[in-house]
Amino acid sequence: MLLELKDIRKRFGGVVALRRGCLNVKAGEVHLLMGENGAGKSTLMKIVAGMYHPDAGGMHWQGKPVRFRNPADAAANGIAMVHQESLLAPHLSVAENIFLGREDRLPFGWVNRKKAIAKAADLIMRHNFPLSAEWRVDRLSPAGKQLVEICRAIEQGSSLLIFDEPTSSLSRSETDEVFRIVRALRDRNMGVIYITHRLEELRSIGDRVTVLRDGETVHTGALADLSMDQLIRHMVGREVTSIYHRDPLPPGDELLRVDNLTRHPVLKDVSLSVRAGEIVGVAGLLGAGRTELCRAIFGMDPAARGRIAIGGRTSHIRSPREAVKAGIALIPEDRQQTGLATRLPIAHNLTIANLESISRFGFLRHSRERDIAAQYTERLHIRADSPAQLAGRLSGGNQQKVVIAKWLVRGARVFLFDEPTRGIDVAAKIEVFEMMDSLARSGAAILMISSEMQELIEVADRIVVMRLGRIAGELPGRTTQEEIMRLAAFDSTASEVAP
Amino acid sequence: MIRRVRLQKLLPFLTLAILFVALWIASPYFLTAGNLASILRQTAVINIMALGMTVIIIAGGIDLSVGSMIGLAGVLGTLPMANHPVWLAMMAGIAAGAASGLANGALITLLRINPFIVTLGTMGIFRGLALLASNAHSVSGVPESFRYLADGELLGVPFVFWILALCAVAIHVMLEHTRLGRYAFSIGSNPDAAFYAGVPVTMVTMAVFAIGGLLTGLASMIEASRLMSGQPTGGEGYELSAIAAVVIGGGSLRGGEGSVVGTLIGCFIMGLLKNGTDLLGINPHWQQVVIGSAIILAVGIDTLQRKRASV
Repeated sequence: MLLELKDIRKRFGGVVALRRGCLNVKAGEVHLLMGENGAGKSTLMKIVAGMYHPDAGGMHWQGKPVRFRNPADAAANGIAMVHQESLLAPHLSVAENIFLGREDRLPFGWVNRKKAIAKAADLIMRHNFPLSAEWRVDRLSPAGKQLVEICRAIEQGSSLLIFDEPTSSLSRSETDEVFRIVRALRDRNMGVIYITHRLEELRSIGDRVTVLRDGETVHTGALADLSMDQLIRHMVGREVTSIYHRDPLPPGDELLRVDNLTRHPVLKDVSLSVRAGEIVGVAGLLGAGRTELCRAIFGMDPAARGRIAIGGRTSHIRSPREAVKAGIALIPEDRQQTGLATRLPIAHNLTIANLESISRFGFLRHSRERDIAAQYTERLHIRADSPAQLAGRLSGGNQQKVVIAKWLVRGARVFLFDEPTRGIDVAAKIEVFEMMDSLARSGAAILMISSEMQELIEVADRIVVMRLGRIAGELPGRTTQEEIMRLAAFDSTASEVAP
Repeated sequence: MIRRVRLQKLLPFLTLAILFVALWIASPYFLTAGNLASILRQTAVINIMALGMTVIIIAGGIDLSVGSMIGLAGVLGTLPMANHPVWLAMMAGIAAGAASGLANGALITLLRINPFIVTLGTMGIFRGLALLASNAHSVSGVPESFRYLADGELLGVPFVFWILALCAVAIHVMLEHTRLGRYAFSIGSNPDAAFYAGVPVTMVTMAVFAIGGLLTGLASMIEASRLMSGQPTGGEGYELSAIAAVVIGGGSLRGGEGSVVGTLIGCFIMGLLKNGTDLLGINPHWQQVVIGSAIILAVGIDTLQRKRASV
């Protein structure tokens, strides 16, 4: 056994990322690591690579107990990681990146460029990689950058290579190329851990599989023994604990309609419709195009092709300003970054999207602003000392409420919620759901993106599932996580695709 | 915590008050009408430029080209005085400043280059244009009536006091009571959030830089009136004094923070330090050391307070 992890535990603050992570990897196998977003795959791999330290549990490397101090320590022991986001120095050459940090030690810190290039070229030729040692890394495609990272790993004499969703940004032919290389590495008796979301690519690459769910290893075994359905059940088959129940409303007029929205390569022919009083969920794995859909509707990255209609009228939205004018509101995923001016008072944040309503003859009426701020902090139960308090001093849940209240002040009718419950506790989550429900009851149309499938099932009237930039299918709100995962992860057959 | 925040806001004012009292005790000449008027006259140019810089810095920008703008607008405002009415020529100077500021704003928003780089570039461009337009000679031959702007008195106080007061009130009202001002704060505090909220970021950024230019144009006319000529090399280094005034007065180069009152205080602190070293016969080279230290001290104290307040 090359690597053995037993009962690994890791928590970040109050959040338990791993409660019982187990994994055994042999030399000469490709071991798949699977699980939903947030199941703990990346955390487990970062522990293996020495980036995190486990709180508890045992780790054996080539039969001996180990505890890696840092990534360099793990690398020196022969463990290398190919990252999702390339961690190379873009302005340096392929050869320089391969040897970065481990250049030959010459007097005066001198670097022998020619020798490095020759060594790198030799390595590239031996493995038959489509690379040149002298190319600059920022000119390479994502696949090329991965090859450089693989070269680095081989050069270091690694015996275990970890791939974290290597093909999520690659084209079909590039994916095939990476697969060929992974198989070649396996045949040289290296161990490979391969994290992926894409069920259909598994069979062509993996030997054994380990499934994580909610920080726990729930299954390990040969891939050939598992059907797709069994695999999906392992990934999502948890005890369902419902935290919220919502009574659907009779839907009203169609407020948001999207037809054939296309923006290469992230959105392809996306069509959907949301009525007044309706909450439509958007599910999908990372990179499925959910956030991109929001950005396209809100005018940040306008679609190249397709039509958006608000309240029955076609809107040509080219910027957020036009989207706001058309009555659309976006509550972004990273509230601090894009939703809130944290160093300004709550009151200023509440009125910024609708200063017209508090102005007279071009001058702001501060008394009117105070009234509005008082009214909305009370209505949404925003817990603050006063509306003059800086928005950055509020808790996460209350910040979220300020962002939503801003759009209520504006009188928006179409709401785009991007991961509305990320990073907030259960009580705050329920408050957010209640707020969404009351928005719907007051006649708003809501599009809700979430990675939490259970949350979508509880809140949404209908769930649209995206996959690789397309709508993979639509499900009623009372569906199961298995159904969503099937659409999100599978290359669905034509009959399952929405008309 | 609340008390600390208040103290932090009061600090520039306290510094100014202590400086004032100290000079009053140290020099019998300090608190005379003549000396106070001369402090006002000396600081007027930087003060008016700093008001514009306040708006720019609040909106998250910076303008390094205002010093060169003094030269360019000064030349373009005095050249026409040979054969046009003084008021019309002054308008030309002010317009030249506004146009320069607008050019900065347009380059920043349309080419999406950061303000530091754009205004570093236009700092050279404006200076070069000033030298070209004037053939590198100072523009003399301005009419005697032009002197009133910088040296005149109205109701017993220097005329520049009224100009400064008018500008300060106008900018204060703009910042605190108009949409433009609110948008400037929101862009400086979080440009992404402002953009997402539908704030017309491009327009506001251009307007902010144009206002900075307009005030610099006005300042350039006062400078020209003081020297009774248009100096193509005038105003060198003034941009740093203007930025310093804003920062000493509590403005933050991260954007979203700053006030007219703070900037005025910052400017007068620098003015008093200068006046004080003159009155007390201290080597004038020490002025630069003292003012430089004041900037670092102001920002240092501010940062420390903030750290403590956030714990």
